Amino acid sequence: MTLIVVRDLTKEYDGRKLRALDRVSLDVASGEWLALMGPSGSGKTTLLNLIAGLDTPTSGTVVVDGAPVHALDEAERARFRRDTVGVVFQHFHLIPYLTAVENVMLAQYFHSLADEAEAADALVRVGLGDRLHHRPPELSGGEQQRVAIARALINQPKLVVADEPTGNLDADNEAVVLETFQKLHAQGHTILLVTHDPRVGALADRRISLDHGRIMSAGLEMDFDNARWKRGERQS
Amino acid sequence: MLWRLVRRSMRERRAHVALTLLAVAVTAALATALLGVTFAIRERMARELRAFGANILIVPRSAPLAVTVGSLRYVPSQEEAYLEESELARLKTIFWRHNIVAFAPFLSRTVEVAGQRALLVGTWFDKRVDVPVPSRRFSFASGASREVAAVEGGWNTGLEALVPSWQVDGRWVREGSGGALVGRALAARLAIEPGQTLEVELEGRRARFPVHGLLRTGGVEEDQIFVELAAAQALFGRPGRVEKVQVSALVTPDNALAVRARTVGPESLPPSEYETWYCTPYLDSIVFQIEEALTGARGTAIRQVAEAEQAFLGKVTGVFVLSSALGLATAGLGVAATTARAIFERRAEVGLMKALGGDRRQIARLLLVEAGVTGLGGGIVGALLGVALTRVIGLWVFATPIESHVLLLLAILGVAPGVALLGALGPLRAALAVPAATTLSAE
Repeated sequence: MTLIVVRDLTKEYDGRKLRALDRVSLDVASGEWLALMGPSGSGKTTLLNLIAGLDTPTSGTVVVDGAPVHALDEAERARFRRDTVGVVFQHFHLIPYLTAVENVMLAQYFHSLADEAEAADALVRVGLGDRLHHRPPELSGGEQQRVAIARALINQPKLVVADEPTGNLDADNEAVVLETFQKLHAQGHTILLVTHDPRVGALADRRISLDHGRIMSAGLEMDFDNARWKRGERQS
Repeated sequence: MLWRLVRRSMRERRAHVALTLLAVAVTAALATALLGVTFAIRERMARELRAFGANILIVPRSAPLAVTVGSLRYVPSQEEAYLEESELARLKTIFWRHNIVAFAPFLSRTVEVAGQRALLVGTWFDKRVDVPVPSRRFSFASGASREVAAVEGGWNTGLEALVPSWQVDGRWVREGSGGALVGRALAARLAIEPGQTLEVELEGRRARFPVHGLLRTGGVEEDQIFVELAAAQALFGRPGRVEKVQVSALVTPDNALAVRARTVGPESLPPSEYETWYCTPYLDSIVFQIEEALTGARGTAIRQVAEAEQAFLGKVTGVFVLSSALGLATAGLGVAATTARAIFERRAEVGLMKALGGDRRQIARLLLVEAGVTGLGGGIVGALLGVALTRVIGLWVFATPIESHVLLLLAILGVAPGVALLGALGPLRAALAVPAATTLSAE
């Protein structure tokens, strides 16, 4: 079953002077892990933002789980984000004055009702049971990113989008976070992950490479052997 | 969760919160003090101006044809008409009884003194008037009725209260002392000084008055002699009679209703307008009520005095209101700028909340509750400061503290969060308008 359908998606900035995305089309199946790859400025984050309803396209269509994201008004887009999408950012984007559990509860609050026990369970599942009441500055980068993942998952979204989720992590924390994504994938979550790191991309079911806003290659063939990651081994 | 978020946020950004709270508190204190003083200044200034004399003259309805030459006054005996002294306490029974600041009765004749003629005026200097007036209910043709609070016990009034601006070299006459005040010009002509005795004669009757003081008024009173009313009545053979009463009353400036009532007569007004007119302290409505209270009395508004006072008060109040408005506008802008800055600095947070699925209403509620709580806190602190400031200004300017009105304080507590919210609205709207992706990628 196809969860995401993107057709001729274009995004231009600065009064059409800068075309970040140029007539991109792709489909993503439900439960699939798709890696969006490419160099900086290739348009991968723009594509992710448009699919997640964080931005609006200049032209083209995005349909996620039957919702025409491109045509939604602001209130409908907010509802789409809270019901359908969980977002993980490179810079974590946790609120510094809230504890780990409160950061997770914030997503619950916007969705329906904040439930501290449920939020704590989500953190336990990402291995942060002993960090519930720590604030972001008291957590390592990997721990902060796992809080962000717990926050992204708390409302049981159909789609998890992650923009360079390991971009700010050291090797150990990167491995922990990627293991978390592998578990999510194994549980059947649809994952859209932006990375410029081929080793991270190799974990996905499928990779799409973007350059200058266009899809350059798509499919399983990448010049990197991901067998070790698939086995859950750490990359040195 | 809402309050938990607000509490955490305010604790985290306590420096900002304190700055905003301070800005609101200063604005609220200024508002409380300036508006409090503005409301009070009219009444206080009016009382101060009342020191310069009466604004209502009461004479008998069939006023005598008196001839005045300089400071002297001649009344043909067949033209004489009087008011009853015993009725004067009724002035404190009228609807606007509390606005009667002072009054003094007068009875005068031209007498011979040391071979010269001078006007001898009998009056009250500082008379104790018993006014056992219970609370009184006034009913109107419109069906409405209003109760006026009782005047308890006695009340002192007379020349000293009516014209406290008059100056006396020596001392004022105390009631029952039998003394006299002599106008300074007359005293100079008679070569008389305080401590000496003045002998006067009228139609063969003689009376002696110890001079207690010399009067300086800048007017015709400096050629006159003032003695106790009872002594004058005895000398003139008119016991219990007075020829006129001067009244000093606090009045409100005339408006269209007052002018219409004066043009068509108050009785011709519709019942509801009549009630409004009667229950507003216009000069004419107080005169009207005095005429109701005293038998055979005709009240005359000394309009020149009243209008000059009202014009002056109007200008003073206008200047005060204008400067208060300017001060409050400036302070309000400061609050708005502080709140705006706080929201502006949180635009990344707003972007994150949008990314997490927060809609405009939810995000706005979070941030506005925080601004409102800060505004309310500042309002409470400011109102308390304002109450103290108002008292200090009252003591400084009028030598008595000005009490802040409860309604004003409630208004301030309502407006202070409003100003903070108003300052937050613009930047919040701007922050919400930016796509989440743009805000987050800028961080």
